Amino acid sequence: MSLLKYESTLREPLVDGDYSVYREVTYGIGQWNLNKTIGWGWDITNFVWWVGIGHAGTLISAILLLFRQGWRTGVNRAAEAMTIFAVMCAGQFPIFHMGRVWDAFFVLPYANSRGPLWVNFASPLLWDVFAISTYFTVSLLFWYSGLIPDFATIRDRAKTKARKLWYGVVSFGWTGSTKHWQRHESLSLVLAGLSTPLVLSVHTIVSFDFATSVVPGWHTTIFPPYFVAGAIFSGFAMVQTLMLVTRKVMKLDDYITLGHIEAMNKVIVLTGSIVGIAYLTELFMAWYGGSKFEYDAFYKYRIAGPYGWSYWTMMTCNVISPQLFWSKKLRRNVAFTFIMSIVVNIGMWFERFVIIVTSVYRDYIPSSWSVYYRPSIWEVGFYLGTFGLFFTCYFLFSKFAPVIAIAEIKHVLKTSGESFKEKMDVIEKESVEHFAHGHAH
Amino acid sequence: MGQVKKYIVGCFDDEKVLFPAVKKVRAAGYKIQDVYTPMPIHGLDHALGMRETSLHTAGFIYGITGTTTALTCMSWVFTSDWPLNIGGKPHLPLPAFIPITFELTVLFAAVGMVLTFCYLCQLAPFVKKHHFHERATDDLMVMVIECTERTNEEEVKAMLNSNGAVEVNVQEAPVGWWLGRYDRPSKLFKTREVAY
Amino acid sequence: MSIDLNTCTGCAACVVACTAENNVPVVGKKQVAKYHEMHWLRIDRYYAANRKDQFDDVNVLFQPMLCQHCDNAPCENVCPVAATNHSSEGLNQMTYNRCIGTRYCANNCPFKVRRFNWLDFTGADSFPDNQQPLIDEGGMDAIVMDMNDDLTRMVLNPDVTVRSRGVIEKCSFCVQRLQEGKLKAKKASRPLIDGEVKTACMQACPTDAIVFGNYNDKESRIYKIRKEEQTKRTFYALEAIHVLPNVNYLAKVRNTDRHVGVKEEEHDGGEAHEAKKEEKKEAVPSGH
Repeated sequence: MSLLKYESTLREPLVDGDYSVYREVTYGIGQWNLNKTIGWGWDITNFVWWVGIGHAGTLISAILLLFRQGWRTGVNRAAEAMTIFAVMCAGQFPIFHMGRVWDAFFVLPYANSRGPLWVNFASPLLWDVFAISTYFTVSLLFWYSGLIPDFATIRDRAKTKARKLWYGVVSFGWTGSTKHWQRHESLSLVLAGLSTPLVLSVHTIVSFDFATSVVPGWHTTIFPPYFVAGAIFSGFAMVQTLMLVTRKVMKLDDYITLGHIEAMNKVIVLTGSIVGIAYLTELFMAWYGGSKFEYDAFYKYRIAGPYGWSYWTMMTCNVISPQLFWSKKLRRNVAFTFIMSIVVNIGMWFERFVIIVTSVYRDYIPSSWSVYYRPSIWEVGFYLGTFGLFFTCYFLFSKFAPVIAIAEIKHVLKTSGESFKEKMDVIEKESVEHFAHGHAH
Repeated sequence: MGQVKKYIVGCFDDEKVLFPAVKKVRAAGYKIQDVYTPMPIHGLDHALGMRETSLHTAGFIYGITGTTTALTCMSWVFTSDWPLNIGGKPHLPLPAFIPITFELTVLFAAVGMVLTFCYLCQLAPFVKKHHFHERATDDLMVMVIECTERTNEEEVKAMLNSNGAVEVNVQEAPVGWWLGRYDRPSKLFKTREVAY
Repeated sequence: MSIDLNTCTGCAACVVACTAENNVPVVGKKQVAKYHEMHWLRIDRYYAANRKDQFDDVNVLFQPMLCQHCDNAPCENVCPVAATNHSSEGLNQMTYNRCIGTRYCANNCPFKVRRFNWLDFTGADSFPDNQQPLIDEGGMDAIVMDMNDDLTRMVLNPDVTVRSRGVIEKCSFCVQRLQEGKLKAKKASRPLIDGEVKTACMQACPTDAIVFGNYNDKESRIYKIRKEEQTKRTFYALEAIHVLPNVNYLAKVRNTDRHVGVKEEEHDGGEAHEAKKEEKKEAVPSGH
């Protein structure tokens, strides 16, 4: 049973996204409702949102591997795939928000005959270029190197010629040799060890886009840890959204258990609390710091004023709602978790919106304060297009690649899937006393 | 395809049975070509007497290369090639170089390691090797013993059976890898025949 | 550059001169309503009034706001492609053909003096026919099509680039005039004389509020204003951010016999009157 049957409904946003981008590149960014004061709106909000979502995948694969958390094996492959697709979606925004997209290659430092004219290595946007492309490459490599043995498993079990051919190509001729596994383990461990600081650094660098500016409301040193915690928060929420649907549709309840869901919810409540503390710290420093501009930016133009509604939406979704996960009953409830994961994602979108738009719409000089920014249909279309891209890629992945890390689960369970299921069937049929008795020895 | 050799193949389905079997086979002096498993098994590489991989050392070296490349290039560009006054910042803003240096370290280490891994394990699209058992990537652990002229096949087969092998057979297989497609069977040639 | 807020009358001749000199595009009403106007120089108005009688008795202050050419420019630091940097003479330079339009510099400018070419306002685009469809949809005024006509194009200053869609532009201290003046001086084998080159805004100002010159030249007017004549009135906009602007303003001084913006208490007796007499001679500066 695959998720691909839902793909046709998602083809529409993808096509609508293409048209929005085509219009923007041909006619100009003036069609968006950005202006001389609000230079970044939905475009960069969406960029940071997607990048944040991507971070959970790496966290699950890499950081949990280093912490020897065996339960990650149920969800890590799909989470890594989610990372790659989220970063692909994120990358659309910095590229297409440029006024002259066709000159986007100017950001690459390559030897040229214009001087040679290099790039500004001290600019946070350039750090972004390196960070996002490194993150994408490393995530792709980590994901793919884990997939090689799994593709080999499918290749060897394949019944049709076409499957044998294609899975043969993508499995690179993997045999399962012990020496190769030894190298593979070493590779996975080092890639995990590299990915962990990479995840932290990438979102830190994204936060530097704001933290290193002089705009009040952006210029704060709390951004790096706050953004990283927020990324993990929204990423885990997106993993929950995808995992709950995948497990239901593909009947993987035995592999993605309530235990997995509960563990992820614990991470959500932890990172949600960190994000909440960061919000309060920002408010405190705006009051304590003495800068009139920063004080006004928070107390007059953010928590109140025309955008007050967005701030309080953010607070409700991000701070108040995850606290409900302190209750074990709610942590282990699938329907509640699904709803909460959507709420958290919405809240995190609003966080980026609040940070970007409400800081910049009323900054230092009042003569520049501009209108209330509403997104144009093209910005909304572009955003929906990235959803189309993301879900199309995810569905294609779930159809053609193994959603669960086969070899890793076997490694953790020390047995194959069928044997595990047989054992569980036996255990489930036993009586409670027999089970307790058997395990006491 | 290269040389063809003869192998005796023993399949096990439990690692608790596999380890003693490996020990006995090695003690008896037979050469284990490899053990093919569906997942990595802790301690198997040591049981087989394999040396530790130095892939992580290679990764470290690639990382250092990345750091050096980043710092050297950026410093040269900003101080010697075309120094610009950007916001009054110094021409060698080392704190500003940190993010890119770190990213390139990670990038070089990761890409280098993966390419080295693929090279060492002879992995690439359209690479085909001889697979001793189709369930080696599924649920069987496949031990492959190389046959020399002195090997007594029946003795080896008996030993494997007595040590808990669920399946034992003899195969002739080409060594190494070749380019091929998995949907077509690979023909086995004992020697290379040259057609005039 | 020094701008004297005392003599500035807010007539905006400088704005018109700048726009004419630098080929600043006209965008039309609809785009101005979207805050997409392109003026490099604007006149900010500040009102000094008692809050309660806000519109009864108001004094206004005009402050022309242009690129401050900051030595510690927040815009230069953040451009990823190094499209904006500082010249050795202290000008903040803008390289139109390098700009890819990320708008980070415009966001980071605390004075908000950078302007982005949101649409094809000048007809200079290589994408053909990307103005008419937008005009037909009602997003843009037809006035932008005027510049596509060869005769109308003759109003453009040939010394100044016409910027295409997607690049940022801002006040350049009329660098084309500076270059012309420097070249003339070089050919005559002499340094630039103070007052020889004037920016368009300086040239147009009827009250000589704007003074531009070489601060390193100790004989120049700008040096004398900042260091000798008007030391008490000299201030920089948003000085606390420490962007080190190269444009200083001279504070407005009002000589009135009453507090600005406070209505006279007519039926109040001698007390208030006496208090006010003491303050009679005191000039109340009301600059921002």
